[in-house]
Amino acid sequence: MKTMQAPNQPTWRHWLRGNAFLFILLIGLILFPFIVGALTDSSPFGVPRGDRMIMRGESVRWQSVLIEVYILAILAMSYNLLFGFTGVISFGHALFFGVAGYVLGLMLEFTAIETGWALLLGALAGIAICGVLGLVVGLVTLRLKGVYFAIFTLAVAEMAFIFFGRWQLTRAEDGFAITELPLWLDPSQNRLNFYYVTLIAVVITFLFIRRLVNSPTGAVFKAIRENEDRAQSMGFNTLNYKLLSLTIAGMLAGAAGLLQVILNKKVGPELLGVSYTVDPLLMTIIGGIGTFSGPIIGAGGLHFLDVFLRDAELNLGGLVIDIANIWALLLGIIFILTVIVFPFGIIGTWQRWRARRKPPA
Amino acid sequence: MTGQRASLIAIVVILGGLVGVSALNSSSPGDFGITLLSGLFQGMLLFLVASGLSIVFGLMDVLNLAQGSYFMVGAYVAYDAQHAGGLIDLTAVIPDPNLRFIIAVIAAVLAGALLGYLLERGLLRPLYSRPIFQLVLTFGVSLVALELVKFIWTTTPYSWTELFGVRESFFELFGQRFSTYRLFVVGMGGVLIVTIALLLQRSRIGIIIRAGVEDREMVQALGINVRAVFTLVFTLGCAIAAFGGAIAAPFLGASTTLGNAFLLQSIAVVVLGGMGSYSGTAVGSVLVGLAIAVAQDVAIGTDFAALPSITPMLLLVLVLLLRPSGLFGNSR
Amino acid sequence: MTPILEVRDIHTFIGQFHILEGVSVSVASGGITVLLGRNGAGKTTTLRSIMGLTPPTRGSIQFEGNPIQGKSTHAIAQMGIGYVPEHRAIFKGLTVRENLILAERKTGDYARKADFIFELFPDLKRLIELPGGNLSGGQQQMLAVARALVPDNRLLLIDEPSEGLAPVIIEQLIAAIQRLADQVSVLLVEQNFRVASKLAQSYVIIEEGHSRVNGAMNELVGDQSLIQRYLGVA
Ligand SMILES: Nc1ncnc2c1ncn2[C@@H]1O[C@H](COP(=O)(O)OP(=O)(O)O)[C@@H](O)[C@H]1O
Ligand SMILES: [Mg+2]
Repeated sequence: MKTMQAPNQPTWRHWLRGNAFLFILLIGLILFPFIVGALTDSSPFGVPRGDRMIMRGESVRWQSVLIEVYILAILAMSYNLLFGFTGVISFGHALFFGVAGYVLGLMLEFTAIETGWALLLGALAGIAICGVLGLVVGLVTLRLKGVYFAIFTLAVAEMAFIFFGRWQLTRAEDGFAITELPLWLDPSQNRLNFYYVTLIAVVITFLFIRRLVNSPTGAVFKAIRENEDRAQSMGFNTLNYKLLSLTIAGMLAGAAGLLQVILNKKVGPELLGVSYTVDPLLMTIIGGIGTFSGPIIGAGGLHFLDVFLRDAELNLGGLVIDIANIWALLLGIIFILTVIVFPFGIIGTWQRWRARRKPPA
Repeated sequence: MTGQRASLIAIVVILGGLVGVSALNSSSPGDFGITLLSGLFQGMLLFLVASGLSIVFGLMDVLNLAQGSYFMVGAYVAYDAQHAGGLIDLTAVIPDPNLRFIIAVIAAVLAGALLGYLLERGLLRPLYSRPIFQLVLTFGVSLVALELVKFIWTTTPYSWTELFGVRESFFELFGQRFSTYRLFVVGMGGVLIVTIALLLQRSRIGIIIRAGVEDREMVQALGINVRAVFTLVFTLGCAIAAFGGAIAAPFLGASTTLGNAFLLQSIAVVVLGGMGSYSGTAVGSVLVGLAIAVAQDVAIGTDFAALPSITPMLLLVLVLLLRPSGLFGNSR
Repeated sequence: MTPILEVRDIHTFIGQFHILEGVSVSVASGGITVLLGRNGAGKTTTLRSIMGLTPPTRGSIQFEGNPIQGKSTHAIAQMGIGYVPEHRAIFKGLTVRENLILAERKTGDYARKADFIFELFPDLKRLIELPGGNLSGGQQQMLAVARALVPDNRLLLIDEPSEGLAPVIIEQLIAAIQRLADQVSVLLVEQNFRVASKLAQSYVIIEEGHSRVNGAMNELVGDQSLIQRYLGVA
């Protein structure tokens, strides 16, 4: 077995070379609203009307698409930490996403706390509760065989979905709107600010997960993924490490849920729906399970396809099918094919191909 | 055998509790009887999904998260075959609704068997060396099944409109009308439970299955093609689930929520009974079925409208907390 | 005499570990050949490679002149090879009878062989309805061998039959294996050198995944230096 350690003092130059692609991508994304603005002759800040800005125009529209990608990317990265790097499979990731969203929504709309403080408290409480939730769910089931954990998360998420779907206080299935947000963050007033907030969240999540996975703790995560019994016999308390991974993943998924609530300015049971479990799973597997950038590529790729194909039509010899109607079906089929014939996803396959072409010195 | 004693005590306590709550909640023996029959009816439907789930898990180590989808597909196929219009219209060919119902059920079973066969041979087989991906794959299949059903039959739920002999006949007891059809389903479920038990105990294929649960490799080394047995068992499991959906359809209709609901409920059953234990699955089905029926009674006229749908999951969570190996499971 | 089993230079991986790095074994028709070697040498892996449970990636295996490498385990067994694995691997939840019936390849195999089996292992007859898990270690070992005798096998692979058994039981087992060797050829793995030397006519020594020496058993018995070098027993 070889260890892939860079053998020397990491200078910033070295670091930059190793991350050149990501760095260029990041700069592109920072400039993105302005580039789209320049290309389409629209303002990244929206259209002024009186003393307010109306969120119209191509640049603003594309900002939303990317914000959605960023949120999904955070969710997928959190899923990947758990599944891709630790080998623990959850079928209830939406639980964290939705619960954090509800906590923030309740704090903003149902308490008398002043908006700015409510936002801060709601965000912190949402993330903290997700951490506790992860810890509790994990303590109950992570001791058992993996499939019990998968089942348990499926059941708990489904229960939460049913519960919030019928809770009268939060207007059951309809959910409730977020009316109080600080102006600077409000995506319907100031989309560009929110764009950068979510972009920063993605960058922080990415760097954090990379740091974590490359640390000694992360080495244990990966050892558990490869063979839990062996990791245990090497003297690691694998339960604690799995709990840690789950707790962190839960908190990150919660953070994504917070952003989603702010973006849509709405809280409802759909936040707990199965699609917020399926999406990160799909994005992780298609992008490349157990790779750092795979979930981001998966999130971007799938969401863009989704947006582009929404209005497209498929003409099958006279039978016209709206892609929007069969989008989920297509996704499912892509997913199944990926699992069977393409199990390392886009990034994983590319890395393998590169490794074969250029054997490590 | 303290483990078995504890399990028996647990079963008696749960049953006693359910009966107690139900008795307190019902005003007459007739009411109570209705709850009981409804519980047994739901229990039998659950058994039809859970038995395949459990045997397949025990033998092949695959938790088939698409098992509920077969139930759902069974319901749709039976509905479609019974009623005018849709994909299959048999009203002209077979005017007698009772006979048409039998044909509809057979069609559903065949569809379940075919789809089960395709899933095992085409999709699961390449993945036996990657078990975690099998789980992920069956999850994916359940999503595709749901989307396909929506695509073919739309998302509007169908309720069974054709009233025909079997479904509409009732008998009276304690001044209450009981559905003969429900009783019939319960009876059929009972027959099936016994038949499968006998098959497992007595037939060669049953011996192979029980041996395979213990040690697959050794079964192969004896010259038995385990993969072929996998295919057979998986196909049968899916066919039985589709059968369940078909005979449930006259009561539950056909809707896109059936798959997930029955998957989660039957997972609750399998975990409650002990993963891979056949008797556990049979007992667990009855217990969960009764629990749901009691919850439905209790929920009437209260604010806990969600109670019946949450009950199986509450049970599941409870079992996992208290005794993850289930009533009849060996802890591994 | 042509050998019934001819294993030539096989290489086997388990995961990414290269476990067998060139093992050749030849089993004479109608005899007992023993595989010797220290713990972890690769004896079990050799038997498992023959059965296709850990398929070799290189080399060839011929059974009665037909190549069997690459075939699936059940197909290999069906050609006429019986496997008695390490730690017996009988089915604990099945009765003795069910264990035996399971091994049938044609209906009636068990009925046909019952007399022979119970003559070799009289104990099994009275245990016939007991679950395998209730049997003692020696009885389980006898059942495991008996199971391999139900169909018409022409070769048995037996892995450490004497492991963990009392001396009296071992004697019974030796007698039984000697008797059955009249009818089938045997490739035996045996750490107990006394047992091995009593049973086998020829030997192959494996060391760290390589087959090193082979020859007639009676020559090995006299060669203390060879025994010392590869087996570390006196
Ligand atoms: N599943 C496995 N994973 C890794 N190594 C294994 C595995 N099974 C066996 N080995 C290794 O293969 C070597 C040979 O094992 P084995 O054939 O069982 O030896 P023997 O039967 O001669 O004692 C040993 O070094 C053992 O550690
Ligand atoms: Mg060995």
